[in-house]
Amino acid sequence: MFISFYRVLKFSFQDVYRNIWLSLVTVIILILALFTVNMLLIVKVIGDTAVDAIKEKIDINLFLNNDSEENEILALKAQIGGFSEVREVTYVSKSEALEKFKENHKDNPEILEALRELGKNPLTPTLVIKPNNLDEFDMLINRINSIDSDMIESRNFTNYKVLLDKINVITKKVTDAGLFLSSIFVFISILVVFNSIRISIYTHKREIAIMKLVGASNWFIQLPFLISGWFYTLIGVGFVMIVFYPFLTLLQPYLEAFFVGYNIDLVSYFYTNAFTIFGAEFMVAGFINMLASLLAVRKYSKV
Amino acid sequence: MIKFHNVIKLYPKGVKALNRINLHILPGEFVSIVGQSGTGKTTLVRTMIGEEKIDYGKIEIGGWDITSIRPSEIPVLRRQLGVIFQDFKLLPKKTLFENVAFAMQVCGGSPKKIKKIVPHVMKIVGLESKIHRYPQEVSGGEQQRAAIARALVHRPKILLADEPTGNLDSLNANEIIELLLRINKFGTTVILVTHNREIVNRLRRRVITIDNGMIISDQAVGKYVL
Ligand SMILES: Nc1ncnc2c1ncn2[C@@H]1O[C@H](COP(=O)(O)OP(=O)(O)OP(=O)(O)O)[C@@H](O)[C@H]1O
Ligand SMILES: [Mg+2]
Repeated sequence: MFISFYRVLKFSFQDVYRNIWLSLVTVIILILALFTVNMLLIVKVIGDTAVDAIKEKIDINLFLNNDSEENEILALKAQIGGFSEVREVTYVSKSEALEKFKENHKDNPEILEALRELGKNPLTPTLVIKPNNLDEFDMLINRINSIDSDMIESRNFTNYKVLLDKINVITKKVTDAGLFLSSIFVFISILVVFNSIRISIYTHKREIAIMKLVGASNWFIQLPFLISGWFYTLIGVGFVMIVFYPFLTLLQPYLEAFFVGYNIDLVSYFYTNAFTIFGAEFMVAGFINMLASLLAVRKYSKV
Repeated sequence: MIKFHNVIKLYPKGVKALNRINLHILPGEFVSIVGQSGTGKTTLVRTMIGEEKIDYGKIEIGGWDITSIRPSEIPVLRRQLGVIFQDFKLLPKKTLFENVAFAMQVCGGSPKKIKKIVPHVMKIVGLESKIHRYPQEVSGGEQQRAAIARALVHRPKILLADEPTGNLDSLNANEIIELLLRINKFGTTVILVTHNREIVNRLRRRVITIDNGMIISDQAVGKYVL
């Protein structure tokens, strides 16, 4: 049994090796397919990171009058905090706002100098409101707008929703294009794998005929070709793994430049999830290739 | 050993390759099957090794009804039969030794067993001095002997030879027939399909004549009657 399995493996390697050019083409197509699939993943990661980053940043600032009473502010805070659309309200007092401002601009001496020259704290107390759910953002704005309080000096609502929608649209378009490209490549790989197995069966016609004649079992005859399918996958996924990290490292500076301030690290994402990502790709691609091989074997090496 | 009951084999387009074949071959017999081209001799062989399914009747090999044999059982059947053909079906890139060993390898034979049996069968066919040659480096007769050696590795009870001398000159052909007779003497049932009148007449063994898919004569000590 063990010796048979060893021989099956050997036959499989011989099969890959003997049609080396065909095997190369097969592996290259597989690599292209896997690469597009991984690019798709990158786009998705970038899109998700961008959306998450923006969602995290979304808040509504209610700038209050400078001379508002502390307890009135807290009452307003409680009122807004009671809205179902609101996740959290934070009260930033004048002095806290100043601290934060200084902290934010600590690298900019000119601003700090200007602040010092002013002599007094120019900042107003603020209520920072974080929405519960982006879908309710418009409703929340309406509700806040309807609060009639002369404490409120200005209401600053950046319309993040439009921005998010834009990001979602772009991500969706890129994903769709990627999906289309990937399916083409996956389809081509299936055809190519099917065809190379068909051709290797053809090249081994004599051997197969003799094996059948002398009573080799069907699994012994067919298994090498199925293993070849897995072998192509192994090489393809392995190659993509090796090439992908340098590629990501090259890509990283551009991403960082583009997403200033956002935490986006594709390399570490692909590191921490390497097992899941490439493992899944290996299993799925290997399985698809095995099915393609099985189809070819069934069709072209009848008993 | 081999029994055919009313066997009918139809090919597409209504070709009746075998037409109610009834046949009983006993263990240890040496039977020649003769007949004109296209009368169904090869088809007869192919039905015996499970390569063709029959459309009617029943075939038994060594007491085993193979009429509706399952694909997974065919290898078991084939290991009990040795088959040789007019073209020797050797792999050109393997030496004679490797060709014979291949038959054992693909059936799960251990290296130890291969080392023991291959030289043994090579000796039976008289090729012990040429085992490391490639098929194209030996004569047609020697290639056929290598094919016979390969057919013997599983110690078959039956040896089927479909025109084994068709590609050989009479000298080599006679040697092959001598070899088949020797193998038959060891107890293996031999079925020889041939066109060669001279050989059949000299053998003085059982001869079955087929015409148009039917057995038209079956003589214990037969002559080539066509
Ligand atoms: N696969 C096939 N499909 C259709 N018809 C076939 C097939 N194989 C053989 N035949 C037909 O069946 C008949 C018997 O063929 P078979 O090969 O058994 O003859 P044979 O007696 O071996 O001939 P020969 O002496 O030339 O080898 C012939 O008419 C042949 O044309
Ligand atoms: Mg024939």
